[in-house]
Amino acid sequence: MIRKPLLAACLIGALALTTACSDSDSGGGESTLTYLTFETPSLTSTFWNDSIASAQQQAPGVKINRITSPNTDRDAYAKQLQASGQFPDLLQSITPANFVGAGLLQPYDQTWVNANFLLPEGNALKGKVYIPPTNSQVIPQVFYNKELFTKAGVQPPKTWAEFLTVCDKLKAAGINPIELGGGDPFAAGMPLVGIISADVLGKNPNWLQERYAGKVKFTDDNVVTAVNKYRTLVGNGYFDKGALGVKYADSITRFTGGKSAMYPMGSWFLGSVPKETADNFGVFPWPTDDGSLVIPFTVGGSMAISAKSRDIPGATKFAQAWSLDPKNLKALIEGDGAFPMLKDKTLDDYGVTVTQVFEDSYKYVTDQNTKVSSISWATNDDALPPGVNNDFYAASQALFTSSDVKGELAKLDKAWDTATK
Amino acid sequence: MTRTSRAPRRGGVRRENRGLFAIAAVAFGLYVCFLVLPLLLSLRSSFTNENPLRATSSFVGLDNYREAVGDTQLRASLVFTLILAVGVTVAANAVGVLFAMMLNRTTLSYRVMRTVAFLPQVLSGVIVGFVWQTILTQDGLLNHVLQRLGLIDEPFAWLGSPNAALFSIGVVVAWILTGFTTVVYLAALQNIPLELHDMAALDGVNRRQRFTRVIWPMIAPGTTISVTISLITVLKLYDVIAVLTGGGPANSTQSTALYIVQLAFTSDRFGYASSVAMVLLLLSAVIALSVTNVLRRREVNL
Amino acid sequence: MTAIRRLRPRVRVIVAAAVILVFVAPIYLMIVNAFKAQPDILSSPVSLPIPPTIDNLSTALGRPDNLIQLGLRNSLVTVVCSVVLLIPLAAAFSFYLSRRRTRARALVLTALAAGLMVPPQVILLPTIKILTWVGLDHSYPGLILSNLGGGYLSFAVFVYVGFMRSVPEEVIQAARLDGAGGVRIWWQIVMPLVRPATATVAIFSSLWIWNDFLNPLFILGPLQGQTITTGLYLTIGQYSVDYGQLFGIMFLAAIVPVLGYLAVQKQFIAGLTAGSTK
Repeated sequence: MIRKPLLAACLIGALALTTACSDSDSGGGESTLTYLTFETPSLTSTFWNDSIASAQQQAPGVKINRITSPNTDRDAYAKQLQASGQFPDLLQSITPANFVGAGLLQPYDQTWVNANFLLPEGNALKGKVYIPPTNSQVIPQVFYNKELFTKAGVQPPKTWAEFLTVCDKLKAAGINPIELGGGDPFAAGMPLVGIISADVLGKNPNWLQERYAGKVKFTDDNVVTAVNKYRTLVGNGYFDKGALGVKYADSITRFTGGKSAMYPMGSWFLGSVPKETADNFGVFPWPTDDGSLVIPFTVGGSMAISAKSRDIPGATKFAQAWSLDPKNLKALIEGDGAFPMLKDKTLDDYGVTVTQVFEDSYKYVTDQNTKVSSISWATNDDALPPGVNNDFYAASQALFTSSDVKGELAKLDKAWDTATK
Repeated sequence: MTRTSRAPRRGGVRRENRGLFAIAAVAFGLYVCFLVLPLLLSLRSSFTNENPLRATSSFVGLDNYREAVGDTQLRASLVFTLILAVGVTVAANAVGVLFAMMLNRTTLSYRVMRTVAFLPQVLSGVIVGFVWQTILTQDGLLNHVLQRLGLIDEPFAWLGSPNAALFSIGVVVAWILTGFTTVVYLAALQNIPLELHDMAALDGVNRRQRFTRVIWPMIAPGTTISVTISLITVLKLYDVIAVLTGGGPANSTQSTALYIVQLAFTSDRFGYASSVAMVLLLLSAVIALSVTNVLRRREVNL
Repeated sequence: MTAIRRLRPRVRVIVAAAVILVFVAPIYLMIVNAFKAQPDILSSPVSLPIPPTIDNLSTALGRPDNLIQLGLRNSLVTVVCSVVLLIPLAAAFSFYLSRRRTRARALVLTALAAGLMVPPQVILLPTIKILTWVGLDHSYPGLILSNLGGGYLSFAVFVYVGFMRSVPEEVIQAARLDGAGGVRIWWQIVMPLVRPATATVAIFSSLWIWNDFLNPLFILGPLQGQTITTGLYLTIGQYSVDYGQLFGIMFLAAIVPVLGYLAVQKQFIAGLTAGSTK
């Protein structure tokens, strides 16, 4: 039979074990910084570990504890961490507007930003830079499969009408026209981001600012007309019927595997173009009514610094090193289709080997043309109010099955008003 | 004699009982700290506009509850949760009774089958969710097999439309719960005295009558437990849905439990999230209590 | 006639086995595909892995983040600490309660019943706040404390109280006459008598805490290392298109609870049976 001392020993042992756990928890020193990242098929765990190691060499004495967001919605995860009291010291590619209101982010030194980047104000929020504009993305552009285009006898379209004809001919040729990774909300939103950025922001680049001022609404006729185009695409069967069951990662392999002819996606898809068959893929900008060129654009690509960090100088040192590290940019260019925005540097300076489709894409960035904020992706003053991104993507998914365009847009207006109240 | 001696003294704790009282008090204290107190705090928050991104919060009276009444997303989540709860409970219990009757033999092969049938209950919701996801996605194993067999021409989106996703989640959750209900009903079946079966055989009743008159009434206590636990499990359910659909497409599979977490941790609306939590709590309490009551009364009547 | 009668049990076994096989097909898929390479999984997902490969398992174990090893360790620490503390706390509480007057006992039991019903989402946020006040937020002690105070305690008390009440008062009186104190009676006399209850509590609370998702995800957070359950969720995320990898990781994560279940399945079923017929 067990005796009392044994019980006492058990309890003490258990308690000791508990405290032992807590001791090892508090072991972190002053210079250990937590860094929130996210993983995609191109931004793999290895990429992050290498990039951190490389930046650490230039910012010695900083220890990095990397956290990975469970999905690409790192804003949601950052908020979750904040709500549960674990806001990271460094946060990769978040939407600063979500956090600045609560004074959670530390702006970068403006002279450092001005000295190093092509578009120093490209990612500014009320005149302050929270994420250095190290690179840029076009979100979305339309990637296409040349072989399938030839098979259906079509050319890359410029106008919306041509685009519809292309879809029609592809479908008639038994080819699924447009790939959509609708199982992941952000990927489901791609066509709508293209349509609204091109049609609404293309005509009125200040539309988002005016929406903040309450001068325009999602339920305005021009937005409804634009969004109805998406319904046309769905109604005509240009997407796979089961597209909402396709995960983003699967949509990439489906498109590169030749299951669909076109793929509207952010330029990061360039990193997923298979090397062997890269020549088979081309790119064209999201088509507009009159064929004019509108590029939905966003600048950023680095990390924000927490204002609550215990070691802001250390965090800044690391973040600046990471943002300017050419090795990093090389990996980002090759792996994530990022367009570098560092001053006085050309592609050759990074020693990268890029595909033809990358160079074609990059031209839309370097050329003079109409660039507008990519709706829901811009992280500057044109960022959507906190939380509205989710509603925007949910509306995209809803409009895949529901024809109530006005109703869904009214929901967006309501969500916007609640979020900015 | 025993009855009176069992009643302890009023007031005060006997000296020799102090140690025991101390441990019991610690247990109760923990319960108060980590269940009762959080409930009260949540109730309090539900009357405020608490938001971690704002410095201050203030009492807003019944505003949150007023908003909840008109919140279409909340309503949709409640409808989804209730349909799922009822559907899963019916399915898991029906299959559970069938499995129990099928496996109610004592030979080794049946015991092995029983062991195996309970396995889904042992795995975590996250594992179950991932395994089923590989089965149910567009290019998943189920579509693959169905296409091979020539049963479907093109892949079916099991998680890709609101109705299909509701159905798929229902199947997965019912699958998990069936392991549990089967064991409960097996236990209930084994409690039926053999004489009852013999009597029924003597009376010359047929199989259907034997089920409705003997088996069904006799397993009533098992039904009470099994139905109540199934309902509560679905009302609390989080991990399986989080992994399978994350609430999508278009929030159509967002259960109230998911909605609360989204409101609190993504939308930063602690106050409103608390009021929705209170709604879910009330719903759970009403359902659990009324269902147990009805089923208990039924046990007596049968 | 007799031939048919003799054949019937065999047909019955075969039908039952077929039904159960279909029912556990997802688990079967997880196991066989953990031992196949990606192309084989896509070409023949339901076939047996011949010859089996252990590449998936060794890749899973060789991950630079040590997902499996750390996850299993952290889960083990959480489960062991929680259950080792939960059992004496719940048992002592139940013993104390079982010797109280009926009305007081009923009142406390009603309060505890709430613990079984409250959805964890309802109390998650305030629990984190309370842990922050006492400085135990995002720590294993915090997670373990919240496990001890939440629904698991209610469950354990409900299991124990039934058993404790059936311990005859005479036994306790006799021990008291021998000069034994409350704690000693409880630990030396009562606990051995309620071993089946202890087994039930230990088995089920271990399983539930092992599989718990919300509490470790939010209370522990990402910094202290993950339990195996939340580690899977956070790490695998949505970008695993390599089924072989996925199944390999799942297999390794599932093997501990499944082996545990197989080892104690008699007590497992007995516990459920006792619980559902009492």
